[in-house]
Amino acid sequence: MTVQALLLLTSGLFCIGIYGLLSHRNAIAMLLSTELMINAVTINLVTFSQFSGGVTGQVFAIFTIALTVAEVVVGLAIVILLFRWRREIAVDSANDLRH
Amino acid sequence: MTPIDYALTALFVPLAAAFAIAAVPPLRHAGKPAAWISVIAALTSLGASLVLLVQQLAQPDRVVHEVVRWIPNGSASLAEVGIHLDGVSISMSVVVTVVAACVQIFSLGYMRDEPPAALGRYFGYHSFFIFCMMLLVISPNLLQLFAGWELVGLTSYLLIGFYFQKPSAAKASVKALWVTKFADMGLLLGLICLFAVSGAFEWTAILPEEWATTITLLLFLAVVGKSAQFPLHIWLPNAMEGPTPVSALLHAATMVAAGVYLLVRADPLFAQAPNTQLLMAWLGGFTALFAAVLATVQTDIKRVLAYSTCSQLGYMVCALGAGSPIAGYFHLTTHAFFKALLFLAAGSMIHAVHSNELSAMGGLARRMKLTSAVFIIGSLALAGIPGFAGFFSKDLILEAVYDAGLFVPWTMLIVAAFLTAFYMGRVVFLAIFGPFSQASENAHESGFSMTGPLLLLAVGSLGIGYFGPEFALLSGGSYHFHVGMSGMLGAGCAVAGLLLSWLIYGARWLPTQAFSFLAPIERLAQSGLVDRFFEFAYRRGALAFSDAVGFFDRYVIDGVINWIGWTTIMSARRLRKSQTGNVRDYVYAVVAGTVVIAFWGLSR
Repeated sequence: MTVQALLLLTSGLFCIGIYGLLSHRNAIAMLLSTELMINAVTINLVTFSQFSGGVTGQVFAIFTIALTVAEVVVGLAIVILLFRWRREIAVDSANDLRH
Repeated sequence: MTPIDYALTALFVPLAAAFAIAAVPPLRHAGKPAAWISVIAALTSLGASLVLLVQQLAQPDRVVHEVVRWIPNGSASLAEVGIHLDGVSISMSVVVTVVAACVQIFSLGYMRDEPPAALGRYFGYHSFFIFCMMLLVISPNLLQLFAGWELVGLTSYLLIGFYFQKPSAAKASVKALWVTKFADMGLLLGLICLFAVSGAFEWTAILPEEWATTITLLLFLAVVGKSAQFPLHIWLPNAMEGPTPVSALLHAATMVAAGVYLLVRADPLFAQAPNTQLLMAWLGGFTALFAAVLATVQTDIKRVLAYSTCSQLGYMVCALGAGSPIAGYFHLTTHAFFKALLFLAAGSMIHAVHSNELSAMGGLARRMKLTSAVFIIGSLALAGIPGFAGFFSKDLILEAVYDAGLFVPWTMLIVAAFLTAFYMGRVVFLAIFGPFSQASENAHESGFSMTGPLLLLAVGSLGIGYFGPEFALLSGGSYHFHVGMSGMLGAGCAVAGLLLSWLIYGARWLPTQAFSFLAPIERLAQSGLVDRFFEFAYRRGALAFSDAVGFFDRYVIDGVINWIGWTTIMSARRLRKSQTGNVRDYVYAVVAGTVVIAFWGLSR
């Protein structure tokens, strides 16, 4: 596999993530889209690490995965609280934090 | 004990007494014990100074110079403190401690009726004053002298305002502080300039020619304030609000003479600036005349003496201006004795009749024989009648000023000599002879604690004039006493002045209409022309400037600050609307921002 092919893959994943983030109103779907974008970036890290020699990028990829897990935990906890409070998880109605 | 030990004793024993009185409230509130501690400290200081004087007379050219580094700067030092003992500083310290001891003993009687706590405070200040004055006198350089200078200014403020419950006394103390602090600015600036050009605070420094006049003028400004020369003499008559012994010690004999002492010490500096010396001679002569004129119309005995002090300090400054430090310094010494004597005798009289007014006195010669006798001795010494102390020193000054070719100042001094005798004769004939008033009818002589110091000072006023040669030995000058044309003229004027005052106030041969020639002077004295000038300068100058600065601060600087604050608030009010609280708006913003940054990065 070439760098170009891998970069095309990650670009595609990233764009799908952006599209999902912009088009959904469901909080869980938005979180999933975010995950796609993060994974695209992680694959980028591994790719560049592989083709430039050295393991720094791969180590950072593992860090990123661990951080993503933590982020998802917090995100889902917020979603659960939002559901308990509003009985729905559409983000449009949750605008109580405006000025 | 080495000379240094004696000097340290003279310096720190009074400080210890002041500290004890200040730090131990029960002692201060007890009054009498505090007074005795203070008197004993003063006597110790006097004893140490006398030992030094005796040693110095045996070895007149001995100089003890011992300094420690105050502000270290690597191996050198920016400033030093220490002790400088030579003939001048030792004789001055003897003058200070003799007068201080006399005044403190006198105060034991004079202040007897004060509440104990006030008495403790009074003597605490007095002990502190001796320390400050000694610090000034034995300083090895101008920086330590400046420290002592400011400290005596502080004690002067505290002691003038001793009766701080009295509004006039409180005002007088503040006035004295303001006027002298204004002048002290000159000393501070002068010292800074001196350090800038010579790298030290020594009075032996060689000044660059272009700086000599500036530096000496700045130093002289401080002297004008401290030694009450025209036009900054205005604080001294008001300073008479303090207790009379304070006037004797601070505002006649020692503190106001500190200015002249500075001139004597820094004479090597002033000798490099002939222009400043010329100004000193003229201003000194003018002050001598001006203050003597005002003294002729005062009705308050202490104010007569206060103006007389201004006048005599004018003589000294004039002598220094004529380039004769020994004449000025000798007059300082004799003046300290007879003026302290006059003030203390006046205090004794005031104590007896409970009033400062000349009209309340009268006929005291028959009620207070001793006080009257010493007052007359003091008056004759001040007037410069031959044989008394003032004659010798005044003669020396007149000769020196004449020899320096300063004809106009010399004329002013001669006229002032006439007026001096006239106003002292006036006081003597009104207060001591003359008809009884209701108060003086019942007056009686003061106790021994008051008459003892008077006797001692009277002996000094009679005798000190004959010690000219020893004095010259100590101060390293030459003294050839001869009564020349100036001296004879001065003494003649003094006798004439006394005679005139006797004709008017004693024998009353001249009718009351003869007084009318004094009326314009009286109006001048009452109008307080110089005070009004300073008031005007303050209102129209200082206050107007402050108003302008205040306006700038309030409307320009504050305006800019307030405008910034207002703009922040207004823009915040607008920007807050962008916070919709809708997650999707934020997501759009983040994505759009990322796109913009990405394109911006790519296009570079």
